[in-house]
Amino acid sequence: MTAGQCRLDWFPPSDVFWRETKLRNLLRLLGVLLALSMVAAACGSDSDDTATTDDESTTTTEAAPDDTEPAEETTTTAAAEPDPGYEGVSLTGACEGDQKIESISAVDEFTVEFGLCNTDPAFLAKLAFLVHGIQPAEHLEATGGAPLREPVGTGPYSLVEWVAGDSVVYARNDDYYGTVAPHETAVLRWATEGAQRLIELQSGQVHGITFPSTDDYPVIEDDPELTLIPKPEANILYFGMTNTFPPFDNVDVRKAVAVGIDRQRIVDQFFPDGSEPASHFTPCTVENGCEGESWYDFDPEAAKQLLADAGFADGFETTIYYRDVFRGYLPEPGAVAVDLQDQLADIGITASIEVMESGAFIEESQAGNLEGIHMLGWTGDYPHVTNFLDGHFSEQIEQFGDQDPSYTTPLAEASKTTDTAAAGVLYAEANTAIKEFVPMVPVLHSSTAFAYGANVDGAYAPPWGQVLFNLMDNGEDTFVFMQGNEPISLYCADESDGESLRACAQVVEGLYGYAPDGTPIPQLATECAEDEAGTTWTCNLRTGVKFHDGSDLDANDVVASFSAGLDAADPLHVGNTGAWTYYDYLWGGLLNAEG
Amino acid sequence: MLTNKQAIEQLEALAADQSLLTEKPLSQGRLAMKRFRGRKSGMIGLAIVMFLVLVAIFAPLIAPYDPDDVLIGEVDNITRRAPPCIHVLGCDPELPQHILGTDGNTRDQFSRIVYGSRVSLTLGLFTVTLALVVGTSLGAVAGYTGGWLDNVIMRIMDVVLGFPSLLLAITIVSVFGPGLRNALIAIAVVSIPAYARVMRAQVLAIKETDYVSAARALGAAPRQILLRRVIPNAMTPLVVLATLGIATAILEAAGLSFLGLGAQPPLAEWGSMLASERNQVFTSPHLVFFPGLAIMITVLGFNLIGDGLRDALDPTLNR
Repeated sequence: MTAGQCRLDWFPPSDVFWRETKLRNLLRLLGVLLALSMVAAACGSDSDDTATTDDESTTTTEAAPDDTEPAEETTTTAAAEPDPGYEGVSLTGACEGDQKIESISAVDEFTVEFGLCNTDPAFLAKLAFLVHGIQPAEHLEATGGAPLREPVGTGPYSLVEWVAGDSVVYARNDDYYGTVAPHETAVLRWATEGAQRLIELQSGQVHGITFPSTDDYPVIEDDPELTLIPKPEANILYFGMTNTFPPFDNVDVRKAVAVGIDRQRIVDQFFPDGSEPASHFTPCTVENGCEGESWYDFDPEAAKQLLADAGFADGFETTIYYRDVFRGYLPEPGAVAVDLQDQLADIGITASIEVMESGAFIEESQAGNLEGIHMLGWTGDYPHVTNFLDGHFSEQIEQFGDQDPSYTTPLAEASKTTDTAAAGVLYAEANTAIKEFVPMVPVLHSSTAFAYGANVDGAYAPPWGQVLFNLMDNGEDTFVFMQGNEPISLYCADESDGESLRACAQVVEGLYGYAPDGTPIPQLATECAEDEAGTTWTCNLRTGVKFHDGSDLDANDVVASFSAGLDAADPLHVGNTGAWTYYDYLWGGLLNAEG
Repeated sequence: MLTNKQAIEQLEALAADQSLLTEKPLSQGRLAMKRFRGRKSGMIGLAIVMFLVLVAIFAPLIAPYDPDDVLIGEVDNITRRAPPCIHVLGCDPELPQHILGTDGNTRDQFSRIVYGSRVSLTLGLFTVTLALVVGTSLGAVAGYTGGWLDNVIMRIMDVVLGFPSLLLAITIVSVFGPGLRNALIAIAVVSIPAYARVMRAQVLAIKETDYVSAARALGAAPRQILLRRVIPNAMTPLVVLATLGIATAILEAAGLSFLGLGAQPPLAEWGSMLASERNQVFTSPHLVFFPGLAIMITVLGFNLIGDGLRDALDPTLNR
C-alpha cells in the first residue's frame, strides 16, 4: 500500500485562519473535520481493497503450482489414475444420446487426450472453432467462469480496454510465438450502416471494414485509395417452409414454390458478382458438399401446374417472414422479400410481408412456429458438410416441421463415417432426398467482401475463421478495424455471433485454427493425432507459451477451458447467457447436464 | 309628428337603401377568411396542401405505374436504383422513362411518391381527427364539470404529456406490434393531451360568460349548453392546433416508419422509402432525396396554413 495517497500536509494551520470571527472559525473547523474524516475514510477503504486483492492473488498463485505439479508427476504413471489436481473438473461424460465427447484429460503438462464416443470425421475442424479458445484455469476461476469483459489468452494482442458503445482497444503481445503485430495498438470499432463504415474508411479514420454495401462495390473499386477484398465465405440463403402448416404440408405446394422462384433473378439483382444460385444446400467448396442431384430449374408453368394439381389453382395466401438484419448471405433483406413477394404473385400465391425482431425471428423459426415462408441463411463455421446439413436436416430439428427419414437416416450415418468416399455416397442420397421432400428452397451462395485502405499491407478477408489484425500493416502505430456491431461479450465460449468472435480472435486462441482455405492448422497444439480406432485424439501442446497475465500454458488450462464450456456440472460453467450454443451443437449436447 | 304609416314608409326606404347593407359588419367567419386571404404565407400553404390533396385523389391518373409493381421482367432495359431518366431532357430513348428513377426493387420511384401522398395525408387527417375528438371531449368535460373528474382527467393528461411524444409513440407501437394502424393510434394518443388542455382552458373562460349564464337561466340542460354554446365558441384555437397537428403527425408517422415500426413493406410510405434506401445515400441519392423532399413540402404546407389560420383567427390582430 502506498502511503503517499493519504498525505495531509497540504493543510497548514495559518495565522490568518485563526484571526477570523468566532462563528466562521467554528464553521471552518467543522468543515475541516468533515473533510478530514472523508479523506480518512477514503484512504481507509482504499487500503482495505488493496489488502483483499493482494490476498486473492497470493492464494491463486499459490494454488497454481499445486495444480500443475501432480500433472507433471502423472507423466510416468498411468493416466487412468484419478489425479487430485483436476478435482472439481470432472470432465467425463456418459455418451448419452448424441454426445460426441466421452472424456478430456490432461495426461501430462503438455499432453491432452480427448476420448470420443464415436468416430467423428469433423473433429479437428470443430476443435479449430474459436469457441474452444484456451484461457488460464486461474483466470476462469478468478472471474467465476464468466470472463466476459477481460479475456486472457495467448494471441497476438492483449486486451487493453473495452469502452462500451465505442471500441475495443488491444495492445501488441511482444512475446507472441507467431507473427508479432507491426503496430503497437489495434482498435476494433463498429457501425451498423454500411454507408457509415465506408465513410469512415474513406476519411482514413479506420483502415479496414467488414461487408460494405453491395452498391458501394464499384465506388470502392474505382477509388485508388481503397481496395476491395472478396471474402468467398461458404454460406447459403434459403426460403424455409414449415410443413406442419397447411398448405405447406403438401409436398406439391413446396415443390411449386421451389420451381416457381427465379433464383437467378435474385442473384443478379441483389447480390455482388461471384454469387451463384445454389445447386445444393452446402456450397461446393466444402468437401462432399454438392453430391447428388442439382436443384430444380426455374419453370413458372410447371409451378402453376403443380399448384393446380395440389388443389390450389387459384393460389393461396401466405406470409413471408424475415428479420431486417444484414448478413453476408442476405445484404438487403427488405428488397429480397419484396422480390420474393412479386415472384410468388406471378405463380398465383399472394404473400404479405412481416418483418420480425431478430431474436424473436430466430426463436420462432427454430421452433417451427412460422406458418409461411421464412428467409434465413447459414454461414459455415468450419469447413465440413456436417456443419451445413446436420444443423438443419437432423431428425430433432423443428425448423421445417417434420423431417423426413429419407434424408435424416443417411445424414446420421454419414456424420459418423470417416471415409470421405463412403460418406459422399450417403450425402448424395441425402441431398437427392432433400430435393424431393423440399423442406426449404436453397436460393444462393453469396459472395461478400471486406474493404481496406490501399496502404494496408497484407490486407485479407479469410473465408474461414476470423481476420487477424497482426497480419496486416498500415505503416502506423495504430490499426483500426470497423465491423457492423458491438461484441456481445469477449468470452466467446458462450457467444455465437461473428462480431464477438472477431473481437475474441485477436486475444484468445484454440488448440487449432483455420488456414485461409479452411484446413485446420495447429495453434496452441503442435499436433493432434487420432489412434487406430479413431476414438481417441492425443494433442501435444506448444511449450513455452505464456498467457497475457504471465502464466504458462499447460494441459490443465486446456481441460479447464473445455470443461467450463462442455461440462454442465462444472461450477465454472457460467458464461454470459449460459446458452453455450456451440458447445451444445458441436458436441451433441453438454455433458452431465442432468446433474 | 310622424304617423305610424309614415314611420313604416321611412323604414322601408331605409331597408331599400343598398348602401346600408354593405356597411353591415362582417361575421366572424368572413372576417377571418378575409384576413387569411390577406396573408401570403397562409395562401401558399393552402396552395401546397390543395395540390397534395389533388395528387392523392388523382394518384392513379398521375402515376405511370402501380407503386408496388416490381418492373423487372415487365419493362425492357430496366435496372434497379436507376437514376432519373426523362426522354424529353435527353435521356437515352433506349432506357425506360422514370421521372425520379427506380428503387431497389425496380419499382417506379415517382409512382411510389405520388401514392405515398395518399398514405401520409389520410394518416395525418385520421390521427388528428381521432386526437381532436377524444381530446376536446375530455377537455370540455373536465373544464365544464370541474371538481374531482377534472382532476382525474387532467392528471392523466399530464402523465401522458410527461413523456417525449415520439418516444411514447415508439413504446406504444412496440407493445402493440408494428404496423400503420398501430402507429396511427399511437400518434393520436400522444397528441390527445394538447387538445384536452387547450379545450379545458377555453371552456373555463367561456362558461363564465353572460350568454352561458343566460342559457343556464333559461333552464338549458348542461349537455345542451356544452354542445350548443360552449364547444362551438371554444373551437377557434383548436382549429389552429389541429392544422399544425397534422404536420406533426405526418412527421411522426414518417419517423416511426423509418424505424420500421410504421408502414410495413411493400406499402409506399415516404418514411419507409427513406429507411429502405438509407445505405444508398451516396450511390443513389435520388432515392433518399425525393421522399425526404415530399415529407418536407407536406409538413411545410400544413405549417404555413396553421400559421396563417392563427393570425386570421386572432381577434386582437383585427386591422
